[in-house]
Amino acid sequence: MRLCLAALVFVAGTMSAAAQWLDRPWPGIPRTADGKPNLAAPAPRTPDGKPDLTGVWNGPNPESIPDPAIELPWVRQLVLERQRDYHKDRPMYKCLPSGPESDRFTGWKRIIQTPAAIAILNDDQTYRLIHTDGRALEAEPAPSWMGYSVGRWEGDTLVVESNGYNDNTWLSRYGQAHTEALRVTERYRRTDFGHLQIEVTYSDPAAYAKPWGFTANMTLQPDTEMLEAICERSSDHWTGTRTEAASRAVTVPPEVLAKYVGVYSGNYLSRARTVEVTLSGGQLIAKVTGGALVDGGEIRPLVPQSQTLFEGAGLYYEFEVDATGAATALVQINITGPYRFARQR
Amino acid sequence: MRLYLAALALVAGATPAAAQWLDRPWAGIPRTADGKPNLSAPAPRTPDGKPDLSGLWNGSTPDPVIDPANAQPWVNDLVRQREREYFRTRPSFLCRPSGVEADEFGGWKRILQTPAAIAILDDDQTYRVIHLDGRALEADPAPSWMGYSVGRWEGDTLVVESNGFNEKTWLAPTGQGHTEALRVTERYRRPDFGHLQIEVTYTDPRAYARPWGFTLDKTLAADTDMLETVCERSSEVWPVTSTDAAASVAVPPDVLAKYVGVYKGSYGAGRPRTIEVTLSGGQLTAKVIGFAFVDGGEIRPLVPRSQTMFEGLGLGYQFIVDDAGAVTELVEIHISGPYRYARQK
Repeated sequence: MRLCLAALVFVAGTMSAAAQWLDRPWPGIPRTADGKPNLAAPAPRTPDGKPDLTGVWNGPNPESIPDPAIELPWVRQLVLERQRDYHKDRPMYKCLPSGPESDRFTGWKRIIQTPAAIAILNDDQTYRLIHTDGRALEAEPAPSWMGYSVGRWEGDTLVVESNGYNDNTWLSRYGQAHTEALRVTERYRRTDFGHLQIEVTYSDPAAYAKPWGFTANMTLQPDTEMLEAICERSSDHWTGTRTEAASRAVTVPPEVLAKYVGVYSGNYLSRARTVEVTLSGGQLIAKVTGGALVDGGEIRPLVPQSQTLFEGAGLYYEFEVDATGAATALVQINITGPYRFARQR
Repeated sequence: MRLYLAALALVAGATPAAAQWLDRPWAGIPRTADGKPNLSAPAPRTPDGKPDLSGLWNGSTPDPVIDPANAQPWVNDLVRQREREYFRTRPSFLCRPSGVEADEFGGWKRILQTPAAIAILDDDQTYRVIHLDGRALEADPAPSWMGYSVGRWEGDTLVVESNGFNEKTWLAPTGQGHTEALRVTERYRRPDFGHLQIEVTYTDPRAYARPWGFTLDKTLAADTDMLETVCERSSEVWPVTSTDAAASVAVPPDVLAKYVGVYKGSYGAGRPRTIEVTLSGGQLTAKVIGFAFVDGGEIRPLVPRSQTMFEGLGLGYQFIVDDAGAVTELVEIHISGPYRYARQK
């Protein structure tokens, strides 16, 4: 808990000193007796009686990984390839639009709803447009990053159908690809003044045996403003791949590797994490349980860079050893710093 | 005229074969007896009686008159430096937002208007939000690419005041810089169904002695849709600057003297162009009269790359010499191909 508070203080400390302009009460919104925005008040409606989704919204990243069993082999292969490249080609890392990627359904957005069209404005200065003028979905729109979308109301639910995507975008940060035949169905429900539920389904039979998706929960962000988050440094400059790391590998004798096998526990930021190190066919493997960010990255093959330092899918792992060469702790080196996991057995 | 028609045919031929989806009649717009959109019908109004600027708009890029005498010396220095670098750091060439650069007001825009806010969506996947909820302009908003904007109605004119710009954006494609103190005033008027007039004024006393700006007209692009134009290749990969080009070869003065003269031809269809080549202090200079894209770029110093080939601010200039040693033509080499100018005198 102390770690968690420290992290919060750190985040707060990075906000601009001139941030008071981000703290302006919105006029005309429902408030509770103590003056706070009443997020549980009824959802607003447009003059024609439809729910009005307009507002500034934010929400956490959904967990959105398909069952690998439904990925067609070419998708599975691309996922593994992209993992080897440290996900360097992820569109947002290249300063390109994220299109229908699941992470784009979260984070800051402003929705502006008019009778004929709804704009969803993302903080990365991309946007989507949903036509609600009754037009049908086009059969063959020009492929684009953000797709072609039409919406219709089913009761209080806005149902959005989209197609016309190019195949440059990903469906998740873990590298799940799609074809130009991708269809996305979204169901938007503003359950009350402060909450928006979005149910997203990806259908792409040329890539996945079954449709898959996730639900995103967004919360209204009243009395503040959305800030721009512009990508200015493309991953084109990133160096290194797992293949290159492998080419730098040194030889570590099997009996030394065997001394690293064990279970290590500790905290990654505020999240408890266990790393189980096993040896299989001369290959050391770290299985990361709890708070893992990389798909299949729960399994990280460890490529030796020295007798004690290993590369594991973009992270470094250093074994601390005692005088006998037995490992006492495993240090995971992230971009945010080292995290120490003490050996349990 | 025949050339002009040929150019139109070429442009039409470049649209994709599956473009019929760009040719859908909009529902519910005023039409003339022959079924065409009636662009001179009255402008639509919102339920509260304000003009409704919503719609899909297109128009030519504005042509602001830029007076170097009005700019502070640091601005003119920056313009010259950017010219030397072939404008490669222009935000749009770097795949970054253009902010309020004059050219960004031209071309395709979709406007969505609600009582509380207006969104202006650009085809390059950036957007601006103009708050209409009566709030005052913030005194000190965080600097951003697209700025902070509030609008108010003066009769049927929407007056927009903006500040909070970072200083990375340009005010014109010719490299005019600005400070974070930039204020932009825009006046939007929709005189009828099919037309939008915009008056833009830049005020930045630390960069320009007097406010300056431009007006432009946009036309409703009815019965079609806006296509994405996403920047995928940053100018960071551009290899050279005019300083690199200056590491040049030596051409004897008597050879340079032979190139002095007046050359005439066309740059593309319907754009007659005259190039006056002069020699002064050993430096050959091309003065391009007619259709010049580059500010002050009517004057292009010619840096020799060979005895007949010169570099002039990113364009190639090749002098054609006949067997008798007489110069007959000057060929201007653009990325779109060579343009020939016959010698007049």
